[in-house]
Amino acid sequence: MIEDYSQILLVFAVLAPGVLFVVLGVLWLLGWSPVERVISRLTGLTFTASIFALAAIVWKLAVTGTPAVIVTFGNWFTVRDYHFPLVLMADRLSLPFLGMTVVLAGLIGRFSATYLHRERGFLRFFLLLHLFAFGSLLAFAAGSFDLLAGGWEMVGITSVLLIAFFQQRTAPVENALRVFAVYRACDIGLLVAVFAIYNWAGTASFAGGLPVLSGSHATIVCLLLLLAASGKAAQVPFSGWLPRAMEGPTPSSAIFYGAISIHAGAYLLLRVQPIIGQSLLASAAVVTIGVLTAVHGTMSGRTSADAKTFLAYASLTQVGVVFVEIGMGWKWVAVVHILGHATVRTLQFLRAPSMLHDYHKMHSRVGGELAPTGKHLDTLLSDRTQMWLYRWSLDRGHLDTILDRWVIYPLMVVSRLFARLDDVGGVR
Amino acid sequence: MNVSLTAVAIGVPWLAAILAVVTRRQVRAIAFAAALVSVAASTLLVQAAPARESLNPALMLLFSCLTLGSTLLLARRDCTPGTIGGIQFLLGSTLLAYSTDDLRILLAGWILSTVPFFFEQWFGVRSWRPRFGLLASSAALAAAIALIAVSGQAMSIAALKERSPGGMAVFGLLVAAVILRKGICPAHAWVADAAGSGPAIPTALLFNGHFGAMLVAKLIVPLFPNTARDLFPLLSYLAMATALYIAIRALTENSPRRLLSFIALSQSACILAGLESRTVEGITGALVHWFVVTASTMGLFGILRLLEVRFGENLTASKHLGLGEHAPRLAVFFAVFALALVGLPGTLSFCSQDLLIHGTLESHPLTGLLLPIATAMNAVSVLRLFARLFLGKRRTGFTVMADALPRERWVLTAGVLFVVVFGLYPSWIVTLRSAQAETVEEALQVQVPR
Repeated sequence: MIEDYSQILLVFAVLAPGVLFVVLGVLWLLGWSPVERVISRLTGLTFTASIFALAAIVWKLAVTGTPAVIVTFGNWFTVRDYHFPLVLMADRLSLPFLGMTVVLAGLIGRFSATYLHRERGFLRFFLLLHLFAFGSLLAFAAGSFDLLAGGWEMVGITSVLLIAFFQQRTAPVENALRVFAVYRACDIGLLVAVFAIYNWAGTASFAGGLPVLSGSHATIVCLLLLLAASGKAAQVPFSGWLPRAMEGPTPSSAIFYGAISIHAGAYLLLRVQPIIGQSLLASAAVVTIGVLTAVHGTMSGRTSADAKTFLAYASLTQVGVVFVEIGMGWKWVAVVHILGHATVRTLQFLRAPSMLHDYHKMHSRVGGELAPTGKHLDTLLSDRTQMWLYRWSLDRGHLDTILDRWVIYPLMVVSRLFARLDDVGGVR
Repeated sequence: MNVSLTAVAIGVPWLAAILAVVTRRQVRAIAFAAALVSVAASTLLVQAAPARESLNPALMLLFSCLTLGSTLLLARRDCTPGTIGGIQFLLGSTLLAYSTDDLRILLAGWILSTVPFFFEQWFGVRSWRPRFGLLASSAALAAAIALIAVSGQAMSIAALKERSPGGMAVFGLLVAAVILRKGICPAHAWVADAAGSGPAIPTALLFNGHFGAMLVAKLIVPLFPNTARDLFPLLSYLAMATALYIAIRALTENSPRRLLSFIALSQSACILAGLESRTVEGITGALVHWFVVTASTMGLFGILRLLEVRFGENLTASKHLGLGEHAPRLAVFFAVFALALVGLPGTLSFCSQDLLIHGTLESHPLTGLLLPIATAMNAVSVLRLFARLFLGKRRTGFTVMADALPRERWVLTAGVLFVVVFGLYPSWIVTLRSAQAETVEEALQVQVPR
């Protein structure tokens, strides 16, 4: 239970955006539509207060040398031997992620107040931003895998709803559906992993140290978590959803696919990194997926026609490298890499619309295109190989094509077959 | 159970049905009052019942609340004496089946609840399959009870406990009744037909009686613990296969009503899979999920009917209709119910899915995987339906229509509060259901080693 101020601050930092979401949402349902200034000020206040709260926790940990602030609320529900523990934890791993979330969410809130000024979905955007921040904070501050899964799912659904933000257009809505399908498919890995951890280690809580798993159990759990992490971080072979997610408003693209959501998968792997380290197969799988994603990201990014997709692939490349670092056991290198990358990429995403304008201005001043720089090593390859690579990159590694042809199409064929079976003797 | 309170809970809706059909005036008010009396009586019954025996009164309360909500949600066009009379008759019959300990009365309740669906002036449907499904399930249950009577056994469920009356023949007939009434594969098509061509809200009420699951919890497990222990894995596989089969089937369905019925069927097959998992977690998850599926699917069918009344009955999920522009609050209610059905965190189904997955994976480590896969597919299907109905470019053919009316808003808000408040504070409802789950598990006398 709560015993000192740092625990209160942790609870405040995690719950504040969630409470604001509920209050604003209920008031809207009751018929009150707050003006833009009220929404943006409340958002600013919430995240500023959260930043100070987390800073105080960091200060306390630094001064006292305590490894973590842990808040235990008991069990959310209990069924005989099975418990769903409600534990929040801020330790050396989660604090950087918590800090990154509140700082970037606050910045995005400030930026969006101007960017989305007079947009019809202004309130909806901010509601979803708060729900997303709450989900992320819950996932990063969770002291058990069950609670982490709750925050994880919340991040997924807000991500999907923000991709479909411009709901009058068909393309964002259909792309959001596709992203949702990939998320849900990969989340099965997390759900089953949580069960497996509970079943084999007797607890899914990691507030008092990671559950002890060994041998094949460790490998199975890590591979399941890798499935979930790969889905959320758009790693190969699930990268196809990332360019589709760029349909959302730029501030949401920045915070989701430049900063927080895309790194949630890496956080999950970092959390279980000691277990991954026990399994050579799991480590190799993490490294392999990271390498493949980095290569895929850099190749596909080079053939992207729009700035946001290019940045998304650049982001993917870096997250691939982060996966490699985690697989190699370089935990803190990965953490520093994530923090640096998230900050820079958010800035790039937010600058993307005005950056294009700046480029045009620059080109007009120098009187044409800027001179190309660097060596073109691709000329070392034969024309045929270059063309093959170009087509491969242009079709984004054929990942969507493979998914369509080998998963979605057969599933639809089976579904239609079932429909024909059902229709025998029926009346429509 | 208190006999007089039970009689009030059952009798008042039947009287209301007669009154509505005879007087043909103020039918909504009559139905509302009758359902309210049932709710009050059921609440008192729940309070009086010990935790381990509170399943029947809890189901009575749930169904009374559903009927109360449905009465308010019914569009004016649908609020005819026939519909109201049929709904009240269905309420009385369902409560009769829930409350009784006598096999003959259970059979009477089971059959009576299907009666309105055989008459054109009530809820009759064009397709023969719903009539056949309901008739065949009633016949199977009647045959099972007849066999028990012929073998000279008592007709009280309590007296028949653990005695396997009638042996495998009766067990087989009861299972057949469950499969037919619950819409377990291959007997699932009638539910979609009924939802597609019948009246939406009464059909949803019939389906949400979950008589199949009730028969398992109330009759099969207590009467046949040994047979159930041996054969439940097979039934569990069948339920999980049904959940997956129907989830795949739903992926290409474009009729909103049929699509919703498939999702509801698939999710309720999860209830059966949980009940048959033989673990307290799985059974508790199933009992909690029962409540979630019931509340969510009623809300979804209700909203769909409201949309049909406003925008025409030819709604389709094959293209984007953009109805969210006209009805933003209905869109929000639909989204919450849809996500609550498939395990959104913060709703009660997050807990029930968690328990169901734990329970089924514990008892069936490999086939248990079908459940999260089916749920994931259902989530995609229900979001597709939401996206197609409410998002996209606004259709210019529609004139300006009212969003949720206050009467509708209150009911839908109550439904949302149920799934959200219990989703945030699930311990009360989970503890209650857990007590009943232990009763079921003890009846099976199986302890699955951890």
